[in-house]
Amino acid sequence: MDEIDCDVHCAPASFDELFPYLSDYWRQYISEAGVRLNGLSYAYPPGVVEPAPSNYSSLSEWVLSEPEPRFVVLNCLTGFETHRNPYFSAAVASAINDWVREEFLERDARLRASVVVSSVSPDDAVSEIKRVGEDPRFVQVLLPVRSDLPWGHKNNHPIFEAARSAGLQVGLHAWGRAGKAPTPSGFTTTYLEDYFGNQPIAQAQVLSFVSEGVFERFDDLRVVVTECGFAWLAPLLWRFDKDWKGVWREVPWVKRRPSEYVVEHFRFTTAPAHLPDHPVALGQLLEMMDVPGTLTYASDYPHDHGNGLSLLLDQLSEEERRRVMWGNAAAVFGLA
Amino acid sequence: MRVVVAPLRSFPSGERRIVEVGGRSIGVFRVGESFFGIRNRCPHQGGPLCLGHLLGDAVADGPGRARLSEDPLRIACPWHGWEYDLDTGQSFMGTASPGVRSYGVELSPGASLCDELHPAPPRKRIPGPYVAETFEVNVEDEYVVLHA
Amino acid sequence: MSSSQVETRTGVSSETPRSVELVDCDVHAQATEAMLAQYLSPSARRLLERYGRRTPRVTEWYPRARHSGMRVDAWPGKPGHIWGSDPELMREQLLDEFDVDYAVLEVLSGQDCYDHPDFAAEWNSAVNDWQVDAWFSSDPRLRGTIAVPHEYPSLAVAEIERRVGDDRFVAVLLPASAAEQLGNPKYWPIYEAATAHGRPVAFHTGGYVDHRGAGYPSFYLDYHVGNGIVMQSQLASMVAGGMFQSIPGLKVVLTECGLAWVAALRWSMDAAWERMREDVPRLARKPSEYIDEHVWFTTQPIEEPDDPQHLVYAISQARLGERLLFATDYPHWDFDSPKQALPRAFGPELRRAILCENALSLYGLPSRREL
Repeated sequence: MDEIDCDVHCAPASFDELFPYLSDYWRQYISEAGVRLNGLSYAYPPGVVEPAPSNYSSLSEWVLSEPEPRFVVLNCLTGFETHRNPYFSAAVASAINDWVREEFLERDARLRASVVVSSVSPDDAVSEIKRVGEDPRFVQVLLPVRSDLPWGHKNNHPIFEAARSAGLQVGLHAWGRAGKAPTPSGFTTTYLEDYFGNQPIAQAQVLSFVSEGVFERFDDLRVVVTECGFAWLAPLLWRFDKDWKGVWREVPWVKRRPSEYVVEHFRFTTAPAHLPDHPVALGQLLEMMDVPGTLTYASDYPHDHGNGLSLLLDQLSEEERRRVMWGNAAAVFGLA
Repeated sequence: MRVVVAPLRSFPSGERRIVEVGGRSIGVFRVGESFFGIRNRCPHQGGPLCLGHLLGDAVADGPGRARLSEDPLRIACPWHGWEYDLDTGQSFMGTASPGVRSYGVELSPGASLCDELHPAPPRKRIPGPYVAETFEVNVEDEYVVLHA
Repeated sequence: MSSSQVETRTGVSSETPRSVELVDCDVHAQATEAMLAQYLSPSARRLLERYGRRTPRVTEWYPRARHSGMRVDAWPGKPGHIWGSDPELMREQLLDEFDVDYAVLEVLSGQDCYDHPDFAAEWNSAVNDWQVDAWFSSDPRLRGTIAVPHEYPSLAVAEIERRVGDDRFVAVLLPASAAEQLGNPKYWPIYEAATAHGRPVAFHTGGYVDHRGAGYPSFYLDYHVGNGIVMQSQLASMVAGGMFQSIPGLKVVLTECGLAWVAALRWSMDAAWERMREDVPRLARKPSEYIDEHVWFTTQPIEEPDDPQHLVYAISQARLGERLLFATDYPHWDFDSPKQALPRAFGPELRRAILCENALSLYGLPSRREL
């Protein structure tokens, strides 16, 4: 069956690969400050997770072999590692996009990519989207699920405006800048909590896009929630709809039930697929949420979350599998 | 059943009365020269609907651009705040489609997919999920009369 | 969704003692400052009078956008009283109206106390004194929870020790967010003390949520829906941090955070644990087994899917049939009515378990009571 793979990772192994795309000022800064890329090691501990491929030949060897995908969307998370110097963050984002184009997009017509942007400056994100977004090989703007301010906040709306003007969607990806623990309280003490932690954070972001009226302003925007799971979606929507009925006056621009905005505007990648192993419970999940309409396939190479997806696909009809494996992505990204 | 609620002159605009009729509690409201009757029981979880706040509409043509409108008048349940049109009993928190379904794409081989994202239904409030029971109230010979 | 008008009582009877049929596991007696200040030492009272409560109320961070967060009809209209402060009105509107057999009070006044440890200790002790004085004696159906200065575990343990002789205190109360994640070993002495004295620890939605994952939301709507999301993070902390492994008798009640999200969390943590056991050497078993054994949930605010059967699915997927505790959350605006909140789709056994049996078993309450 055809597939469009919505989340495959690539990353420069070190700043050396980005140097050709950075000014000599930044090269000196990186050298003097001892800034190193660590492959987002707190998210993908090198002892247990394979590093993302840093060149086309490793990528093609692993990903573009059998079965051959029709398209692959590359997500380079290196931008998530940058610290808060907004100028550095913007410069590195540009460098990454240039590197991805030259190293990957130029080499294979099946490859697509996310536009990496600064996550500390909406202005700079807009500039970068304008700089590279018209290139049809870029299909979405990559945002980290962890943020200082929820992504739906009005301060971020220029990013969505620029994205749509450039024909781009938004990819909301697990993890983000390391810093004080991203929880409601304080530090986590285990990787397990951090790994799971992307899910509650993604849920909060989903709420924000709807309540802040992002989809009222940008009604053709789609957000692909990537590597944050999806089995949590239905209960969240039950609660969101119920609470909205009581306090809708706080957000009167939300004209329909929140769940309707969510199923229309969000897609969720299939990795990780953390599912019940009992077929009855799995069947129930398929009743509770619209899997064929809202999921979109991703291998998440080289990250391995187990094989929950195959259990799910077994329960779907041929047509439903087609939608998940490539149809939804084709529609969202305009890939013929 | 005709129930005399009060003499007109002692029921000014802006006030309400709760009356018991045949085991049902019903709220009678006067707004200007109009009268409304609505069951004092929220269809959601049975709260005393007619003790709630009477509110006009809040509309917004975009995020942050909210304003009040006098119409339609709604009664908000004093518990969860679910609101019902005082005249028709209709609530407007419904869903455009039964069950939650995405607006997916039907694909045909070789078709161009670029603009295939189906347009969503227009963004306006959808009736539902409940309708509160309403009653006719009129003025007869200077008395406010509820028909329940 | 079809709501159901189902009689809570199976039959009207004046026979005594009678069978318990309804336990309300989350009721908010709410104190005014004056009501608590009377229990303070003179110096603490003077501090309060001159400097006030330094920390803003959580209702100032996110104003409750509907009815100030309360049932409009629960305002007592008596001088000096506020919603939830008048035992007479609570008896009328809750205990008698719905024929409640036992109600567990959770007084939240101490949860946002980030004042000096001495003051925090006194303030929480005042909350407990107030429960004894103003509430327990007013109605034999009432039970309470021990408020503690949770950021100062040794002071919290002292307060627990002070109260456990009174068996009307059925649990220890903490907020759902704190300076550290709730599974952090800093708080374990509190959990150990509670367990040593046969009390579960109830974690109630609220406290100062420091939204550092996605950032601070703009609206009460997001914040309110977020109460369930916050508890997911805390439950992950509790399990992964190993407290259930280290305190085998510990029981926790996650309160006012919903219940439908539990299944997905179990699947996810179990799948993750299969792949990263070395990261959590304290866990001898898979995460869902700890949840099975150690965690209870109150029902309010109960989720309302369009198809109520889906809620039944969510309960069975998370094996919650014996772990759900009915709660009204009186007098808050999102109050769940005992008569109508549980959908018809719940069969009689599940209904009975949720409305009373699970609570009787957890809190060791008598299953028959004198009228």
